[in-house]
Amino acid sequence: METKYIGEHLLPGQLGHFFAVLSFMASLVATIAYFNAVRIKEAPLQDSWKKLARYAFVVEILSSFAVFGILYYVLYNHFFEYKYVWRNSSRTLEVKYLLSSFWADQEGSFLLWSLWHSVLGCILMFRAKKWEAPVMTVLSFAQFCLASMLLGIYIFGYRVGSNPFLLLRQAEENINLPWVSLPDYLSKIPDGNGLNPLLQNYWMVIHPPVLFLGFASMIVPFAFAFGGLWTRQYTEWTKPAMPWALFAGMILGTGVMMGAAWAYESLTFGGYWAWDPVENGSLVPWITLVAGIHTLLAYRSTGHALKSTFFFFFISFVLILYATFLTRSGILGETSVHSFTDLGMSGQLLVYMAVFTIPAFTLLIMRRKEIPDVKREESSYSREFWLFVGSLVLLIAAIQITFTTSIPVWNKLFKLNMAPPTEAVFHYNKIQIWVAIVLGLLTAIVQFLKYKDTPRKHVTQKLLWPTVIALVATALIGWLGNINFRAYGAGFLVAIYIMLFASVYAIIANTAYIFSGLKGKVRSAGASVAHIGFGMILLGVLISSSKKETISIDKMKMIEPGFFGEQSKENPRENLMLPRNFPIQMGAYHVTYAGDSTVPGDPKTYYVVRYEKKDPANGATLESFTLYPDAFVNTKGQEGLTPNPSSRHYLTKDIFTYITAVPRKDAANDTAQYRTHQVQQGDSIFFSSGYMVFTGLQTQPENRNYQAQTGDLAVGAKLQVYNKNNEQFTLQPVYYIRDSTYQFSVPDTLSPLSLYVKFSKIMPKDNKIELEVKEGGTFDDYIVLKAFIFPYINVLWIGVLIMIAGFVMSIVQRAKKTAEKVAVKSGKIAVSEEL
Amino acid sequence: MKKTNIVLLVVIAVAIGVIVTMAGDFSTYVTFATAKEKEGKEYHVIGTLDKAQALNYDPVKDANYFTFYMKDKLGESRKVIFYGTKPTDFEKADQLVLTGKISGEEFHCDKILMKCPSKYKEDQVAMSTKKM
Repeated sequence: METKYIGEHLLPGQLGHFFAVLSFMASLVATIAYFNAVRIKEAPLQDSWKKLARYAFVVEILSSFAVFGILYYVLYNHFFEYKYVWRNSSRTLEVKYLLSSFWADQEGSFLLWSLWHSVLGCILMFRAKKWEAPVMTVLSFAQFCLASMLLGIYIFGYRVGSNPFLLLRQAEENINLPWVSLPDYLSKIPDGNGLNPLLQNYWMVIHPPVLFLGFASMIVPFAFAFGGLWTRQYTEWTKPAMPWALFAGMILGTGVMMGAAWAYESLTFGGYWAWDPVENGSLVPWITLVAGIHTLLAYRSTGHALKSTFFFFFISFVLILYATFLTRSGILGETSVHSFTDLGMSGQLLVYMAVFTIPAFTLLIMRRKEIPDVKREESSYSREFWLFVGSLVLLIAAIQITFTTSIPVWNKLFKLNMAPPTEAVFHYNKIQIWVAIVLGLLTAIVQFLKYKDTPRKHVTQKLLWPTVIALVATALIGWLGNINFRAYGAGFLVAIYIMLFASVYAIIANTAYIFSGLKGKVRSAGASVAHIGFGMILLGVLISSSKKETISIDKMKMIEPGFFGEQSKENPRENLMLPRNFPIQMGAYHVTYAGDSTVPGDPKTYYVVRYEKKDPANGATLESFTLYPDAFVNTKGQEGLTPNPSSRHYLTKDIFTYITAVPRKDAANDTAQYRTHQVQQGDSIFFSSGYMVFTGLQTQPENRNYQAQTGDLAVGAKLQVYNKNNEQFTLQPVYYIRDSTYQFSVPDTLSPLSLYVKFSKIMPKDNKIELEVKEGGTFDDYIVLKAFIFPYINVLWIGVLIMIAGFVMSIVQRAKKTAEKVAVKSGKIAVSEEL
Repeated sequence: MKKTNIVLLVVIAVAIGVIVTMAGDFSTYVTFATAKEKEGKEYHVIGTLDKAQALNYDPVKDANYFTFYMKDKLGESRKVIFYGTKPTDFEKADQLVLTGKISGEEFHCDKILMKCPSKYKEDQVAMSTKKM
């Protein structure tokens, strides 16, 4: 008997799935129609195919948007009968994070991707003119593949795609569970599973759309190149493809760096880049695309390097698909800290990759002889030669990153048992630093070379001053900045210095070029500006990572010696415990944990951490500020905490703080009592984890909570504390009489042993004093944190912004030139001097 | 020979060189027994948390000292010392991948990667009376 369920909203899901299927069909029709429009040469027939294709694609656009809208609608209304909604949201989730819920899972992110394809396709339909049909064939086909990811239909026993509108009660894992047959099951699901706390961050609202726009736009240069190869118009595609390639480079670069910013702001690996497979996956296509842009420039100006341009544009898109496969098939499993759900679509993702890779590269190999090339050899003093060299250097970088990232793939393919490098970051850094050096130097010098050939004197003349200035600046930075990163030996330090020069050189030489090479024509300075930004990124990365300083070093040495031995390089004791209201020295700061607080409507707990910097000479406070690192404590289904860092931003550095552990709040309360001991000098008092010896009285006591005033009669009890490991600590509780009448006692605490000692009485008659000792059995008012100083991280972020600006300038300029419609005949290339 | 070809050859040579030098960095997944043979060398060890033995993390004493026992794939259980805080949800991990080396009888580890329970189980909607 069919169960009649109560309270379900089935219509949106049915509509959503209908539109998902419609978009799948429409993109298939568009692909076939555009394909025929390319293949068929008779004008009237071609036009009618094109017309059909356009209608189909418009239907596809509309249905993509409809699916998007409906999924948002069910999320917004908390229809927990849908698995996607149940899994990724909850009623308490702030509305602004609903979008993060939207792309928390694969279905949502594929949807976002195909939405961007639709937008780009819409522009291409109007702007691509004669390239519309071939380019749109490729794009529609990609849409077809993406739409198939959202189908969730079984074909020959194999499930194709995953339907975002799947009902919770129909989900595979719930089938046959007893509640599924309850008609009123919905009333028993009052709330959803909730969104992963890591994604509840504003960067997660804006970073995925930008990144996926980057992913989506990578197909356009690919499609143009493929169209050129397919229609045997090997050269004409290069001009309209240029602004698109620049656009893709800009957006993907922005998306990647936004991911870095997200990691920096809200993840706690203590940095912006960890060479994680997920980060590498989107960085590598960007690198190869940038290489492609440079070979395309060389080709546009000299006719060289057309084949490599094809190669780079093809490989860039293929690498995007490869990254998608890596991150979404679950193959990374043991090597990535990011968790991915395997929707059982690995096969489908592989097919997606193959259907683009195989035709493109087969065609490229088959028709390689037909691709025009210049027989004349490049001069070593020509710009195109070095553009080509630079691109190959970028390719090496891409190969190295891909090779290491793909270790799980090699294991699977060749049945190996390889594990990633144990020191992953250094593994990448020690190779990529040389790539960065070569690129920095090339970036600095190559602009000053002209295409074809450059008079020798011209180069030396123009480069002389930038070189001298860069050398001086490097020496100054190295000297004043005290760059002395010895953790990996002197050899690496040398590399750091060379990279410092290379990045400074890139910045200065490109700035100089705007004036001496372009005569200050800012309009055409896009490339130089982008290169200045690139130089600053290199510089920022170099300084912030080689001068990164951990200030939360635990100096208590609570463990046996030998701890700081050989292990100490990898294991600096970076976590520090801060008992509440107990200032602890951290670097130049005295840091106090002053309690926690929560805000209604916000599930996070905020920890108040006060930083104070004091003048060592007179104790005056030079600077004080408060950071509020927060954490999701005991979120649903999780025992531990998910912290978000908080940073104090300065122009020249960031102080970065995050919580690594907090005591369980439900742990037994502190019920320990003070016990009174009357002791003479030399007496010992035992407590559970050690003993203390009263060594004498001190008439001018030193206790950080005691401020001497004139007229005070004060005395401190000197206590030597030994713990079980025979380590020593000192305590000095103070007893004083102020204004001859009032008695005060300033206790002293030893928080690592949770020991509190009060000096409560002097008994001159017995020559004894009275001490009260308390052991907090479950001392639970503390936090454990990590704190870093990132110097000059702003150089990196500003560099990113400048680079983006440079890209935008170039796009505007290129798009204008394309619009001017200069007819370029095949093989005959207009030689333009500007880049 | 064209200059570009020479450059290409150089690039290929460099790429091979890079990969060869890189190979030395790669580690392998081993068991405690293998790691013990080469005491002091860094390895990845896969295993599961030995729940019969106690975990020990007391930030009040030392925020950077966490010990537990792990059973490797051959069932050998060994004490592990991790110099850091106890990772979130540690007890729930299905599988642990440790990076570190044997020192004496203990495994000193500087990185823990946890594989969490499969999504499949996690996604099951539990409907116990408690949750309602």
